[in-house]
Amino acid sequence: MTRLLALWRKETLALLRDRHGLAALFIMPAIFILVMSLALRDAFVPGVPADLGYAVVDLDDTPTSAAFEARLGTVDILREFGRLADEQTARREIAAGRIAFVIVLPEGFGAALDAAARTDAPSATTLRLLADPTVPLAVRNGFRQQVEAELSRQQLASVLDRLGRALMIPELRDIPERRPALEVATEAVRGETTLDPAPVLPSSVQQNVPAWLIFSMFFVVVPISAVFIAERQHGTLQRLATQQVSFGLILAGKLLPFFVVNQVQAVVMVLVGRYLVPLAGGEALVLPGNGSALFALWLMTAAVSVAAVAWALLIASLARTAEQATVFGGVGNILMGAIGGIMVPKFVMPAGMQALTQLSPMAWALDGFHRVMLRNGGSSDIVLPAAALVCFALAALVVAILLNRRARRAHC
Amino acid sequence: MICIDKLVYRYRSANRPALDGVSLQIAPGSLFGLLGPNGAGKTTLISLLSGLLSPHHGSIRIRDTALTDFRRTYPNAIALVPQDHAFYPMLTVAENLAFFAGVQGLDRRTQASRSAAAIEFARLEGVTRQLAGELSGGLRRRLNLAIGLLADPDILLLDEPTVGVDPQSRHFLLDAIRTLAKHGKTIIYTSHYMEEVEALCDDIAIIDHGRVLTHGSLATLLADDVPSLHLRLPQPLPATLAHTWATRHASFTTCGREVTLAPVTMATLPRILAELADAGLAPLGLSLGERNLEQRFMQLTQRSLRD
Repeated sequence: MTRLLALWRKETLALLRDRHGLAALFIMPAIFILVMSLALRDAFVPGVPADLGYAVVDLDDTPTSAAFEARLGTVDILREFGRLADEQTARREIAAGRIAFVIVLPEGFGAALDAAARTDAPSATTLRLLADPTVPLAVRNGFRQQVEAELSRQQLASVLDRLGRALMIPELRDIPERRPALEVATEAVRGETTLDPAPVLPSSVQQNVPAWLIFSMFFVVVPISAVFIAERQHGTLQRLATQQVSFGLILAGKLLPFFVVNQVQAVVMVLVGRYLVPLAGGEALVLPGNGSALFALWLMTAAVSVAAVAWALLIASLARTAEQATVFGGVGNILMGAIGGIMVPKFVMPAGMQALTQLSPMAWALDGFHRVMLRNGGSSDIVLPAAALVCFALAALVVAILLNRRARRAHC
Repeated sequence: MICIDKLVYRYRSANRPALDGVSLQIAPGSLFGLLGPNGAGKTTLISLLSGLLSPHHGSIRIRDTALTDFRRTYPNAIALVPQDHAFYPMLTVAENLAFFAGVQGLDRRTQASRSAAAIEFARLEGVTRQLAGELSGGLRRRLNLAIGLLADPDILLLDEPTVGVDPQSRHFLLDAIRTLAKHGKTIIYTSHYMEEVEALCDDIAIIDHGRVLTHGSLATLLADDVPSLHLRLPQPLPATLAHTWATRHASFTTCGREVTLAPVTMATLPRILAELADAGLAPLGLSLGERNLEQRFMQLTQRSLRD
């Protein structure tokens, strides 16, 4: 035990003096959580993202075109920047990146709308939408659908106005303004112990806190490999071997301090999600309210930690230099994160890529966290992802031990 | 007594053994010098003695006990002081000593007393709170040695312990090693500095290509069976004369302005001096029938460059 305590103390001191390692473990993920939670806040809301900015070029300048513009202004998820004088100005504003969309109401817009209310014949007049090419297609389509919907409402209002006047029922003109007769409600399907109504998809912060926590936990590869490679290069591992410190004991000496570091990371990232993200204008992280689910979350954190430390030891054993470890570990983590739904949520990936996520231990980890945080699962629900992570850890440790045994024979 | 018997070790990728039947006997309490060019097998022998490697053939016995059993019975009896600075640069001197004492399983009280003794022995009192990575080359060497002494080992394996230090630190280290030997520790010392080994060691072995070329006391090694002449010249020997001497003498070596010839007797010496005079060279110094360790080393290991 004296030997293990000495190893733990050494690892802790080494980590506390490694500013870059600490930054990679704590500051980087906190910033990622903050930035990504805010940046992706709207991507998790079904439908057209909010705060879509648009401007109007009204070449018609009739009461009908003014009424249409006013109607667009009532749509919650659209935000009008105002009018622009002409199409040329509109194109300049888009090119400069100041406005995402411009609706060009052509000359004859009002007349065409009135005519459409009387006849089925297609109109020759075209309402044009100018869009920033960097806006994703899905967002462009969503915006177009909103405009078309309001166009249909205005047309229907015109028809009903006419009809109401003919039938002496003026209330008919108000029908299009009413919202759907049946409210469409979305409910997240959770476990039996559903506590709160929640969206079907994870919210931005619910996705980003576990995702970047997992990512940062795997970044223990930086401090672990830095010390491990220095130990090998300086002959410290050999010296320890002559002092009959087994390689297994050395590994155990690294496991516990970094396990504790991972637990501290989990607490810090939860606090960031719960208190810092809302301060910056995002949603607050919601944790399960019962003890069983919290225990399941801790179990997941423990499984991820074991996998992350074992992965770091494998990388440290594979790499010959600190530079190699940074490349292997860093690129490996980024690839695992990209494939595993850390950087891009799995549910927005195409089916093929979604299947590919199962190759990444980070995806198993994220799945485990989501089972608890989004589906209110308990310990029994995380057995599969947690077991997969522990198996991954064991495999990585076995390979690390074999690599070190071989290296010892080759370099003595 | 350390008995090394017909030791063979071959690295997996190597096409010849690193050690090929090495046999040596090292007396307890002796200061044993192990010499050899790069790749001779010194580090492999040290690794085998420290238990890092296991021999493919042959045996190592200490106090008539097989090495593995000896290490099991006396886990702290052998300490290696490697050539590298094998400690943690991000820890202070005191933290390094506490770590290596702790990792050897010493209890807290013994850790403290041994650390204090090692600090005092290596004269590290003024830098205990300094990060090891910020120490000078000499202080690093002293810390490296101090760590090796923490467990109060009976056998100390010193792998080039004075590399890269200034003369003051080198003298300090050599004195420290002598003191350790006086206290009854068996010290196996490898170095490329012949004058250090010559000044320090009671017993010396020169190995090359995994074999022991010679082994014995310094006096034995330097005893000249074949009388030789060593010349120090004002300028390098002309090629024609070098060719003549190389053809005529059984042993002929030159190194810059130093020339060694054998056999040379009092009868043949005048002819050699006459040939030098004909070449316009007057020797700055000459010695007949005496050699130093470096000459003996060069004679045994030849002059070809090593990896």
